Amino acid sequence: MGRVRVHAPQDLVAGCSLVAISLFALWAASPLDGGRMSAPGPGLLPRVLAVMLGGVGVWLVILALVRPGESLGRWPLRGPALIALSVVAFAMTIRTPGLAVAGPAAMLVAGAASPETRWRELVVFSVAVTAVCVGLFRWLLHLPIPILAIPGWVVL
Amino acid sequence: MSTLLSNLALGFSVAFTLHNLGLCFLGCLVGTLIGVLPGIGPIATITMLLPVTFGLQPVGALIMLAGIYYGAQYGGSTTAILVNIPGEVTSVVTTIDGHQMAKQGRAGAALGISALGSFFAGCVATLLIAGLAVPLTRVAQLFGPAEYAALMTAGLAFAVVLARGSIAKSIGMVLLGLLLSTVGQDLETGVNRMTFGVANLSDGIDFAVLAMGLFGFAEVMRNLTVEQARDVVHGKIGRLLPTGAELRQSAKPVLRGTVIGAILGILPGNGAVLGPFASYALEKKLARDPRRFGRGAIEGVAGPESANNAGAQTSFIPLLTLGIPPNAVMALMVGAMTIHGIVPGPLVMTRNANLFWGVIASMWLGNLMLLVINLPLIGIWVRLLKVPYRLMYPTIVIVCCVGIYSVNNLPEDVMLTALVALLGYAGSRLGFESAPLLLGFVLGRLLEENLRRALAIYRGDLTIFLTRPVSAWLLFTGLVVLVVAVLPSIRTRREQVFVED
Repeated sequence: MGRVRVHAPQDLVAGCSLVAISLFALWAASPLDGGRMSAPGPGLLPRVLAVMLGGVGVWLVILALVRPGESLGRWPLRGPALIALSVVAFAMTIRTPGLAVAGPAAMLVAGAASPETRWRELVVFSVAVTAVCVGLFRWLLHLPIPILAIPGWVVL
Repeated sequence: MSTLLSNLALGFSVAFTLHNLGLCFLGCLVGTLIGVLPGIGPIATITMLLPVTFGLQPVGALIMLAGIYYGAQYGGSTTAILVNIPGEVTSVVTTIDGHQMAKQGRAGAALGISALGSFFAGCVATLLIAGLAVPLTRVAQLFGPAEYAALMTAGLAFAVVLARGSIAKSIGMVLLGLLLSTVGQDLETGVNRMTFGVANLSDGIDFAVLAMGLFGFAEVMRNLTVEQARDVVHGKIGRLLPTGAELRQSAKPVLRGTVIGAILGILPGNGAVLGPFASYALEKKLARDPRRFGRGAIEGVAGPESANNAGAQTSFIPLLTLGIPPNAVMALMVGAMTIHGIVPGPLVMTRNANLFWGVIASMWLGNLMLLVINLPLIGIWVRLLKVPYRLMYPTIVIVCCVGIYSVNNLPEDVMLTALVALLGYAGSRLGFESAPLLLGFVLGRLLEENLRRALAIYRGDLTIFLTRPVSAWLLFTGLVVLVVAVLPSIRTRREQVFVED
């Protein structure tokens, strides 16, 4: 028995993730009734799919051990994390105080994700885009998006 | 023939109302506007603009979405020619000769022939859709649950084979998409499945959340981490109308491209992707002097661009007649139709005849409008190409945020999308594609419904999938395609097709 060598780290991690998802799904679907073949219950398909997904995961792991493939590569996290954060910022400010604040806030947080951002430019631009969004979504399309809603003071 | 004409007449009467003409025009314009921006393909464009149609009637909404789709396709070609960045796989081939032409000062001719060829292809494809709709719908109505389940399985097999990247990973993504579609209330028993007591989840995972997370935000995350080399053509665009000689040179490639693209586009699975590649390869083979290709041969733009547009349009056929989306863009259309309360499938044609024929008629109108608006406005598109990404991506973020919020007016949806986006980003780092996942997700419920119905009817006898001829044939085709794709010799050739640049 020689030492097992990983030839394709990316495939290994990918395969392990699929196996993990599959196990999680099997656990989540465990209380569901599988039924019989002639009267399939709600749990049948999720279980079958989870097992198949796990199978593909194992397949990927085996491939990773026998076949050369890609390395894991770089995982830049700053940009993606800040984009996610900007979306969260939007979610937390859209009800109160509303789009007038949520729009620029989300765009400015998102701006931090790129090293090329020029701040003065982005501030002006974010206000302009927010204004366009208000015009388009609220006035033109009549979607019920709060524009500026501060309880007890102003509701738009 | 006369029914075809009366159907088309009905369609045009719907499409020719001022309201719908306006929506068609607006869709084409906005679609081009967004699609022209480098790095934003049709999928991202439709995802971003989906909420714009929420307030509309179903007919208007679909007409506008179809317009957005074609607009994005046209816009993508413009970007491919002028900036050398393909907005999506289908315009990869256009960058080869199109960009060379642009560098030689013949950008106008390339753009012109691409628009003319696409228009011709669009006309033919529209007729084809109208002609095939009735017979195919009849076939679809003969399908029982077993056949439907088999057809969807075969379609997913095609989609796996035609996706980029590893076959195993594509299969994994399709399965994951199917698995995600089972979350939520079970249709038959009403039991909550895998919802962990979250009330919002009992309606299932929201389609818009998944689509915007994977194709809106995760796309931005990916683009931020790669350096985009932009090679905008600074020189003159040149005259837009091709010369007589160029037209003669392009006529046959356009014809051949249209035929190839139209046929491949009908295939379940993402057949439309292959059209431009096949057309380019064919033109190169037929050319008297193949060395001209890659150095600005107009045939290398005319053929693939026609194939591209023909395929884009005929891929509506499986959706409109069978209710089965062949690719991620059509999966988005299903999502849009469902949001508007229309269940895609063979019944749409009879129950919503107005909608069905109106949308088909507006496809042709949309193509005409694109021809008219695109060429004169080319100056504006060129200026748009210079919008720096540092300003573009915050705009994408905000538009998507507003979009998801307006689906259900729930901030929680927006939060969930951020999570989906992070997972999508991690997936892409691991080599997983999002498109097969979305396709699996959209087909999931329909597949389960038919599968369970078939099992119930035939008392759990799995062999009926193999003893009923149509379903056996479909499953066999899917299996053959998968096996062939896994065989090493074909796999290297498949990789070459997608890598060629």
